Amino acid sequence: MGEKPSNPMNFIGQVVQWFLDPAHWQGDSGILHRTFEHLVMSGLSVLAAALIALPVGIAIGHYGRGGIVAINVSNIGRAIPSFALLVIAVQLFGIGALPAFIALVALAIPPMVTNSYIGMREVDPDVREAARGMGMRERAVLARVELPIALPFIMAGIRTSAVNVVATATLAALVAWGGLGRFIVDGLGLQDYPMLFAGALLVAVLSLIVEFSLAGVQRLSTPAGLRLSKSSQKEESSGTALDTAAVAA
Amino acid sequence: MRLKRIFVLGASMVALALVTTSCGSTGGPSSSAKATIRVASFNFSESIILAHIYGGALKNKGYTIDYRDKLGNREIVEPSLENGLIDLYAGYAATDLNFIDKRQGLALEAGTDAAANVQKINSRLSSKGVKALDPSPAVDQNAFAVTKAEADQYHLTKLSDVTPAIASQWTLGGPPECPQRPFCALGLQSVYGLKFKAFKSLDTGGPLTFTALKQGSINIGLVFSSDGGISANNFVVLEDDKHLQQADNVVPLIRNDVANSEVVALLNSIDAKLNTPDLTAMNKSADVDKQDPADIAATWVKNHGF
Amino acid sequence: MLATGVVGAVEDPWIRWSWISGHADVIIAALLQHIQLTLIAVVIGLVIAVPLGLLAWRSRVFRGPIFSVTGILYTIPSLALFSFLLPFTGLTILTAEIGLVGYTLLILVRNIVVGLNAVPGDVREAARGMGFRPLAELARIDLPLAFPAILAGVRIATVTTIGLVTVTALIGEGGLGSLIYDGLLRDFKTPLVVGTVLSVALAVIADLGLAGAQRLITPWARSRATP
Repeated sequence: MGEKPSNPMNFIGQVVQWFLDPAHWQGDSGILHRTFEHLVMSGLSVLAAALIALPVGIAIGHYGRGGIVAINVSNIGRAIPSFALLVIAVQLFGIGALPAFIALVALAIPPMVTNSYIGMREVDPDVREAARGMGMRERAVLARVELPIALPFIMAGIRTSAVNVVATATLAALVAWGGLGRFIVDGLGLQDYPMLFAGALLVAVLSLIVEFSLAGVQRLSTPAGLRLSKSSQKEESSGTALDTAAVAA
Repeated sequence: MRLKRIFVLGASMVALALVTTSCGSTGGPSSSAKATIRVASFNFSESIILAHIYGGALKNKGYTIDYRDKLGNREIVEPSLENGLIDLYAGYAATDLNFIDKRQGLALEAGTDAAANVQKINSRLSSKGVKALDPSPAVDQNAFAVTKAEADQYHLTKLSDVTPAIASQWTLGGPPECPQRPFCALGLQSVYGLKFKAFKSLDTGGPLTFTALKQGSINIGLVFSSDGGISANNFVVLEDDKHLQQADNVVPLIRNDVANSEVVALLNSIDAKLNTPDLTAMNKSADVDKQDPADIAATWVKNHGF
Repeated sequence: MLATGVVGAVEDPWIRWSWISGHADVIIAALLQHIQLTLIAVVIGLVIAVPLGLLAWRSRVFRGPIFSVTGILYTIPSLALFSFLLPFTGLTILTAEIGLVGYTLLILVRNIVVGLNAVPGDVREAARGMGFRPLAELARIDLPLAFPAILAGVRIATVTTIGLVTVTALIGEGGLGSLIYDGLLRDFKTPLVVGTVLSVALAVIADLGLAGAQRLITPWARSRATP
């Protein structure tokens, strides 16, 4: 322990051993609790961010004003390193769960604003006009025409935010929070490479699970009609504005 | 006869002048035989200050110094010394001895006599080409601090005032290696019988630990006895009445290949002049006043004529 | 409740100008290292992404795996990615760069494919009709027309990488991230602020610069609200 492993096979064996040790699963610093902590913090942050970001993005998209802001908020958000966000939060709010939460919420807002805005703008203005012409009130236009079309984009934004939040929550271990990042940060500190690697595996797997399940939800949320027309493009993979928006945000 | 002598003298002086000026003009050090010494430090200000005190003094004697500041904790630094990746660091006699003992699978033998600790370090490391020099009177050892409010509430002045019952409700805070260190969690359990409800992995007696204490995220935290911020933050250090901590005097650990007589003499005389109040004051300048550890070290070196 | 920092005696202001002027060399060195780490990552990323993108564009068989692998590299948090490499490549710039490059691949490959896909079918038909051989067509028709999308990808990849470089402070590199890390370790606001502001400034300048380049080089391509 403490030196680089000379034999990769040996090392993988050590990592496996680490996972097989029941003590590593139980208790407040065990895998189960840390995973739970990580998920709860991520989920709450995304939820809180959504409560702020979605209404804003949807409103901007619905009224068609302030689009420049909506698009650029993601660019600016992307320019701020999440690491810096965390450390600044600590300076303002102390250590532990609170600064982590605030930093994560701040991080999650931009992609959701941008993507919901883009989604709302995807609605063909003629369709919107037709709905209004049919006598639908604004709220109905929103709920029954615009939102279903915008929904996959909104989901793309939530998905991007969720993955970013899960990733940054890993870093929050540096500011005395818990979560799965704890195994990585302590592994670095203790030069315990099996623990470090195991922590990285846990984080990677969690992120992939979040990404894939939300991608599935996103696909499910695409109205059938849209899915058909875009399917040929989807075949080419990632040709849709959807994915570009998701990636861009 | 005289003419020949003058001629030889003159020629050798010319030759000498030529040699030294050519050396000077190619920019090579006139003391080209002096080694490059790689000096490492741990992740806290005091260690960086000590490294730069050693390095600064050595540089004044013509050595080239390559600093590896904040290389990591002992788990990284000590093996790096044994493996020849670094040449010198400022260690602490008892903690380093116990670390080396543990690494070599021996019983932990640090005691309250710094010289004895150093002697044991040397016997352990002689086959690795590393030695420890003379320990300094300056001491920095682990200490455990609580907030004043807590000390008042439970009437705490010494560690043995903390009963197992209290500890079972408390959260201990410290660096990630604390649960495995005999001077930290392990020792608190074996010597004082204290098992804590939880442990929070923070930093090495740094701002995370201090903030955690102030915020109440931990009840008791590992700090360093020479830390400059303890009194500034109204913390109470609990007296180590059962002597869990051993003699953690500052001592340089150095590789034999760079430890020539000049280097050894210089480092030993620095050690003799270092003392704990100096350390505490320098730490305060770094941690409280946010001055550069390297600058603080340079001031000490100048003031003490190194 | 605002924590006013650890210190009782002296308040730590958000910016100590004396520290900045006294440490200009440290700050500039961090900035240069940051730029260097970013450039290496994006350039190597592009070198790897172009052939991968071409392959994914042409071959249905390879498309899936290429997007899956680059997608996985993108989804895995950077700290975890670095941690996978650490036991094997150590606390070195190689570890940092492998991680940083891996992270750019999805963005770059995806944008290359989107760009190539956007080349109108009739243009390619015409080129073939004119006798362009596949390689020539690629070099003189397809890639140039795909260029706006590719450049957009480079923009996004660059800005993202600039942010990620800060994390490499934890594995011995850092660029401006080492100032941020220093701020954390010492509870010291000034390097934190300097590191953050310069990081953001660097990202904004890179983004605007590349956007400007995009407009200069491809005046015929009008990107509609490309994020």
